Amino acid sequence: MRKYSLIFILIAFVCHFVTGQNKQLLYDFSEIPQSLLINPGTETDFQWYSGVPLLSGVSLQAGSSGISVNDLFANDGIDFNDKVRDRLINGMSPKDDLSGTYQIELINIGYRGSETDNFYSFGIYNEGDAIGYWFKDYAKLGFEGNADNLNNRFNLSHLKTRGEILNVFHFGVTKEIDNKLTFGVRGKLYSGILDFTSTKNKGYFVTTEGQNNLLANTISADLELKSSGIITLDHVIDGDSSAGDMIKRGFFGGDLGLGVDLGFTYHLNEQTVITGSLLDLGFLYHSTDVLSYTLKGNATVEGVEIILPDAINDPNADFWQDLVDEVEGLLPFEENRKSYITFRPTKLYGSLRYNFGETVQSKGRLDCDCNLSGGKSNRAKYANGLGGQLYVINRPRGPQAALSAFYQRRFGNIMAVKTTYTIDKYSYSNVGLGLSLQAGPINMYFMADNLLAYRNIAASNYASFQLGINIISWGKN
Amino acid sequence: MKKLGVCLSLITLLLCVVSCMEDQDFDQYKDLSVVPVYESSILYLESTEDVINNVPPGPFYSQDFSFNAFSEAVFSDRVLDGVITYEVENTTSKPLSLTLEFLNDADEVLDAEPFTIDPAPSGTLQRDVAYGNTGKSLDIIRNTSKIRVVAVNEGNSTSTSNVSPPLVIFKSSGKFSLRVK
Repeated sequence: MRKYSLIFILIAFVCHFVTGQNKQLLYDFSEIPQSLLINPGTETDFQWYSGVPLLSGVSLQAGSSGISVNDLFANDGIDFNDKVRDRLINGMSPKDDLSGTYQIELINIGYRGSETDNFYSFGIYNEGDAIGYWFKDYAKLGFEGNADNLNNRFNLSHLKTRGEILNVFHFGVTKEIDNKLTFGVRGKLYSGILDFTSTKNKGYFVTTEGQNNLLANTISADLELKSSGIITLDHVIDGDSSAGDMIKRGFFGGDLGLGVDLGFTYHLNEQTVITGSLLDLGFLYHSTDVLSYTLKGNATVEGVEIILPDAINDPNADFWQDLVDEVEGLLPFEENRKSYITFRPTKLYGSLRYNFGETVQSKGRLDCDCNLSGGKSNRAKYANGLGGQLYVINRPRGPQAALSAFYQRRFGNIMAVKTTYTIDKYSYSNVGLGLSLQAGPINMYFMADNLLAYRNIAASNYASFQLGINIISWGKN
Repeated sequence: MKKLGVCLSLITLLLCVVSCMEDQDFDQYKDLSVVPVYESSILYLESTEDVINNVPPGPFYSQDFSFNAFSEAVFSDRVLDGVITYEVENTTSKPLSLTLEFLNDADEVLDAEPFTIDPAPSGTLQRDVAYGNTGKSLDIIRNTSKIRVVAVNEGNSTSTSNVSPPLVIFKSSGKFSLRVK
C-alpha cells in the first residue's frame, strides 16, 4: 500500500510540473538526423546527411493549460459572459499558461569525420518561444473592478511572461567513446532578433478603509518589462524600416549569446539503453535596441486632501496637481535602455529504453564488425524499443516536466514508427505518433502529438507537430 | 522526391480529415460585456474650530481647485453610472454649511451639493448622490474639471466645543461603473 502511495505521489508531483515544449517523439529517434539537435549524444550510423534547406525541420507547438477554444466559443447556448467569468477569470489559476514555440531549420548538415568515431553536425535554425502565465488578479481587477473588494489584495506578481525570437548557429560533435558510450556536445551562438521579459514582478494593489477619508487605494509595485528589438519591429510595422533590418538582427546585427548542449547514450547491457541531454545551457546579452520600463514604489491615495489652516496659508495650492505629482514621485514610471541578460529556457531530456525482438541490420559502416555486441555506430538495431522518457524545462515559475512512455518499431531500414503516451498539465491523454520513411537517400519524417484531441481540435489544450525532409548517405555507394 | 512530397501531403491531409471540431461560434465575442466598478476617495476636508473662530461669522474657507479625474477621457468616455458618497462630521460648537460645486472648464457651475451641519453633538451626516440612470445627469460628472468648496460658519465666532478635538470633517468617495467592452 505504501508503495502505491509513493507511486501516486510521484505521478501527482510530475503531473503538477508537466508542460509542453516537448519533442518526445523526436527524442532518440536515431533514424532522423534532427534527433541530434535534441541529444547531441544520439547514436547515428549516417556517413553524412543534409537537410533540405527550410524544409528539414519544421516544428510548431502550442498549449494552454487552463482553457481551450471550445471552453469559450462552443456553440452551447451558455451566455458568453458567464463562460468568461466562470472559466477564464475565476476558473484559471496564475499557474496556468499559454505557451507556444516554433522552430525552422535553415541549414542542417552532418558528416562523419576521418576518425569514424566522430560525427559532426552544424547548421542554423530560427526559433521563437513565448510563455505567458494567466495574469489572474489583473484580469479580475479589469473585469470586476476594485469596488466590493475591500481589503482584497490584487497580486501584481501575476504578470509573468517572456518570449523571444532568435537565430541559432550551432556546431556539434558526437563521439563514440567505446562500444557502450556515445557522448555529444554542441556549441551554440545565439543571435537575438526580438525579446521581451517580465518575470520578476512583485507587489499588490488594495483598497482599504481610509485613515482620513472613506477609502484608501494603495499600490506597492516592483514591476519591470524589459525588451530588445521592439523599436525596430515597431519601425518595420510603421514602414519606417524594412524587414531586412529585423533579419539583420538575426545574423549578428542584434543581441548575441552563447550556449551549449550536452548529451549521451549509454548501453547498460545489450538491450537496455539509457540516454540523457541538457539543451540550451546558455544566455543572451541584450545590448541593442533595448527598451525597458519600470514601475517601482509605494503610494496610498485617499483623494484630494485639504487640511485647514495649512490650506489657508497656501491659497494658490493646486491640490489635484500636487496629488498627481506626489503619486508620480512615490511611484515613478520610468523608461530605460540598460542592457540586460536572459538565460535560455534550458531543457533536460532523459530516457530508458529496452530493445527486443528481431534485429535490423544497420545501413552504416559495413567496414566494421556488425553484430549486436560489436557496438559503435554499426550496431545492429532491434526492431522494437520500449521505454520511458522524462523532460524538464526551466520556466519563469520554476522547472516544469513531462513524463512519456514510448514504443518504437522499425520495419527494416525503410520505415520506423514511434508512439508516445505523455502526461502533462495540458492533457492526461496525450498520444503521439511519429513516422520516419526512408526512400533511398531521402528521409522524410512527420510527427504529431495529442492525436486523441483531433476528435474535437477546438477542445484541445495542446497541439504539436514536427516534419522535415533530409538526404542521408550511409556511404555504401 | 516527388513521391515523398505526395506522401507527406497525404499524411497531412489524413490528419486534417480525421480531425473534427465541434461547432464554434466566434461571434460570441461581440456579446462580451466588461463593466467593472471602481471606487476611490475624492475629497477630504478638515478644519479645526480655531480656524472658524479666527474670522467673523460667515464664509471661513472658499477655494476652487482643479479636479481632472472625471474629465480624463479614459473615465468620461466610459462612465455609465455611479454614486458619490459624502460623510460629514461636526464636533465644533457651530452650525455650519458646506457647499461643493462642480465646475466645467469655463468655470460654470454644473451642479452644487449643499450640506447643512448642526453643531455638536450632531452625529455623522451621510448622503449618497446617484448619477446616471435615475440619478442626476452623468454630464455633470463627465464635464467636471474643477471643484469649488465653500464652508460657512452659520453661528458665532466665540463659542468653543467641549468635544476634543473640535473639528469639522468632510469625506467623500465615488463608485462608478465603466464600460470597458
